[in-house]
Amino acid sequence: MPPQRVMSLINLLFFGRLGDFAKDVPATIDAATPAEIRQLLAADYPALVKELSEPQVLVSVNQMIVGWDQHLADGSEVAFLPPVTGG
Amino acid sequence: MSFNSIRIQTHDFDLAQEYQQLRELSSTVGAVVTFTGLVRDFQFDSSIDSLSLQHYPGMTETLLQEIVDQANQRWQLIGGTVIHRVGELLPRDQIVFVGVASQHRADAFEAAQFLMDYLKTKATFWKQVSQDGQQHWVESKDSDTDAASRWNSKND
Repeated sequence: MPPQRVMSLINLLFFGRLGDFAKDVPATIDAATPAEIRQLLAADYPALVKELSEPQVLVSVNQMIVGWDQHLADGSEVAFLPPVTGG
Repeated sequence: MSFNSIRIQTHDFDLAQEYQQLRELSSTVGAVVTFTGLVRDFQFDSSIDSLSLQHYPGMTETLLQEIVDQANQRWQLIGGTVIHRVGELLPRDQIVFVGVASQHRADAFEAAQFLMDYLKTKATFWKQVSQDGQQHWVESKDSDTDAASRWNSKND
């Protein structure tokens, strides 16, 4: 038998203009990396995924900026961050 | 370890009170530089109705602390305060405050500028403008990125 893949339920957050494209996205998703989240959303949310593919968009896991291939543990909080505009 | 205060809040702040706090930190304070950012009544050649500030609670505080820590490593500082407002703001409202106390003015001037440059490009805040009944997110500016990048080559 192949090893069973462990389910990783990831909490999703979309900030700034990304939030406008993500209104109907479920709050959680089962994925192993941020890159996989982007792939999984592509079919149902093409406009959002186009925004997420912009090079300036950063991704954080549990409030730390990480790469798109970062491994996600069950219960992780993944946030997608467009360029910041505070100050 | 120098004093620092980082606050993210919906309510307004009092410039005189913030200045006074920095001034009274120590008898060695010889310079206090403060910067206050206001909501401009202007975007794309027409006036705005209001500004809405979103942030990422928890992460914003962590990032601001990192920025303040970097300033403390680069300059001789006695204390620093960073305040950023969130929520709904109107034109002319105070939006951001940076105050730095040091023995000599060069440290306070440079650190205050560094704090603002880094805050604008690294801290997780997003502005949304309401204008003529419509909302749109403010785009980031290359000039802000350029302003922040000039610190990369210094003192490293």
